[in-house]
Amino acid sequence: MIVGFDQVSLTYDDGVDGGGVKVLDGVDFTLDEGEFRFLTGASGAGKTSLLKLIYLAHRPTSGRLTLFDQDVTTAEREDLPALRRRIGVVFQEFRLLDHLTAFENVALPMKVAGVNHNEYAEDVSELLNWVGLGDRMSAKPATLSGGEKQRVALARALVSKPDLIIADEPTGNVDPEMSEKIMKLFIELNKLGAAVIVATHDLDLIEALNKPTFRLEDGAMVKSERLGK
Amino acid sequence: MTDDSLIAERYAPEEQQEHAEDRAIASPFKRLRSEPLLPEAGAGGAPLTAVIGVISFLAALSLTAFLVIASVAGEWTLALQTSFTVQIKGTNAEAIAADTDEVVRILNSQTGVSEVNVVDASEAAKLLEPWLGKGNIGDYLNVPAIVEVRADENVRNDLELLQSRLTAAAPGAIIDDHGEWHARLAAAARSGQLLAFGVFALILGAACAIAIFAARAGLAANEKIVSLLHLVGATDQFIANEVQRRFVILGLRGSLAGVGAALITLLLAGIAAQTSRGERFFLPGVNFDGWFVLYLMTVPITICLVTAISARLTVLQALKASY
Repeated sequence: MIVGFDQVSLTYDDGVDGGGVKVLDGVDFTLDEGEFRFLTGASGAGKTSLLKLIYLAHRPTSGRLTLFDQDVTTAEREDLPALRRRIGVVFQEFRLLDHLTAFENVALPMKVAGVNHNEYAEDVSELLNWVGLGDRMSAKPATLSGGEKQRVALARALVSKPDLIIADEPTGNVDPEMSEKIMKLFIELNKLGAAVIVATHDLDLIEALNKPTFRLEDGAMVKSERLGK
Repeated sequence: MTDDSLIAERYAPEEQQEHAEDRAIASPFKRLRSEPLLPEAGAGGAPLTAVIGVISFLAALSLTAFLVIASVAGEWTLALQTSFTVQIKGTNAEAIAADTDEVVRILNSQTGVSEVNVVDASEAAKLLEPWLGKGNIGDYLNVPAIVEVRADENVRNDLELLQSRLTAAAPGAIIDDHGEWHARLAAAARSGQLLAFGVFALILGAACAIAIFAARAGLAANEKIVSLLHLVGATDQFIANEVQRRFVILGLRGSLAGVGAALITLLLAGIAAQTSRGERFFLPGVNFDGWFVLYLMTVPITICLVTAISARLTVLQALKASY
C-alpha cells in the first residue's frame, strides 16, 4: 500500500486556547501501487490539507497515516526525509525558490539527495526541454509566467523518479495542449508503476480520463466513484 | 515510441531507487563548492560580516596583549630565576671592600656561576637617592656593596650552601634570591594573562551569541525555503550544512578583514611610537614576524569555528521543532 488513511483528522491551531479549525475529519482511504486517483471537492473542502498530510508537510491530529507501508504518525523525524524523497509534488502555488534558476529549481531534489551534478544535469535538461522550457533554463522564477512556473514545478516533481506523484491543480495555469500533455505523462508514469493523486476542480478532465475519484466535502471523504463516461 | 512515452519511461519509479539520505550529510565539503541553496541576504550578509570583523579586531588585540604579557613575564621571570645578588654589610668602608673581594673570589671559584658583577658605589648610591636625596650619601653611611651574580639552576637551587660558604669568609654577606619579586611578578603576569584571555573568551562568547541570533533570524527569514527543502527530502543535517557554509564564508570574510585591520593598527601604532618617542619596542617581547602573524591567524580560524558551530547547533535545535 502506498498511502493509507485510517480515521485521519487534521485540526489547524487558530491561536485560541483549546480551539482549532478542523479541516479533515475521520478520513479513510487507501491508494495502492500503480493506482491513479483524482481528488476533487469544493474550495475549502480540505483537498490541499489532505495532500499536505500525504507529502508530510503536516502531522495528522489524530488517526493513523501510513506511507509506503510505514506508519508516519509514529515515525521518527529522522525517517521522514527518505519517505519524502519517494514523493514528487506539484504544488498548487509552485513553491519555486526565487534565487535559483529554473535548472537549479528542478535539480533541487537531486542536490538534496546528495547526487552529483553530472548525474542529474542531463535529466534536468531533458525534463525542462520536454515541458518546453529548454531555452529558459537560466531564468529565475520572477521572470517566468504562471504557466512556465507550473511546468518547472512539474519537472522538479518528476526528476527524482518518484514512487508517488501528487499534483495539486497541475493544469490550472497551463494551456489545454500542455494540460493534455501533462495528464498523458501522468497516465504513462502510472502505467509504469508510479501511484498518482491529482487534485483538481476540472470535472471535464476527470470525466475524460475515467479514473477513480475521491470527493471531499467539509473535510470528510464522502465517496469514491468514477465520473468517466 | 513518442517523446512523451520516452519521458515516462525515463522518469518512472526505479525498482532499486536509491534513497540515500546520508549522501548529503557525508559531503559538506562538496556542497561548499557548489552554489548556495540559501540566499546571501538570509544570514544577515554585510551587517553580520561587519560585526564579525569588529569582533575579530578586538580578539586580535586581546590575543596580542596576551602574547606581550606572556613574553615579557617570561623574560623577567627567566632573568630573576638565573640571577641573584649578594649584599655585603660592614662596619666601615674598608671592611666592606675586603669582604666584597672575598665574596667575589668565592663566587668566581663556584662552579655554575657565569657572571659576577660588583655594582659600582656610585650606582649603589643612586639607588638610595630617591629616599635620601641627591648628595646626601657619604662614606659615613657605610652603604652596603652589591654583587650581581648570574648562575645556572644548580647554584640557584642550593643557595644555602653558597650562603654558608660566603658567611664563613665574609660574615656581612647576605644572598638575596629575589624570591619575593619573582613571586609578585609571576602573580602579576598570571593576572595579566588571565585578564587578556578572559577578554578573548568574552569576545568569542559575543561571536557565539551573534551567530545564534543571526542563525535564528536567517531561519525565520528563510522559513519558506527551509520548508521546501524539507519537503523535497532534505535532512536537518543538510539544512544545517547550508547554514554552516554561509557562516563559514561570512566568518572568514569578516574575521580576515578584522585581523587585517588589527595588524595594520598595531603596525601604525608601532611606527607612531617610534617616531614620536623614539621607542624601539612598541610591543616589548613581540616581533612583527611570521610567528606573530601565524598566532593572529588563529583568530579568524577560531571565530569561524565558533560562529559556524554555534549557527549549526542553533539551526539543528530550531529544526527539531518542525515536522
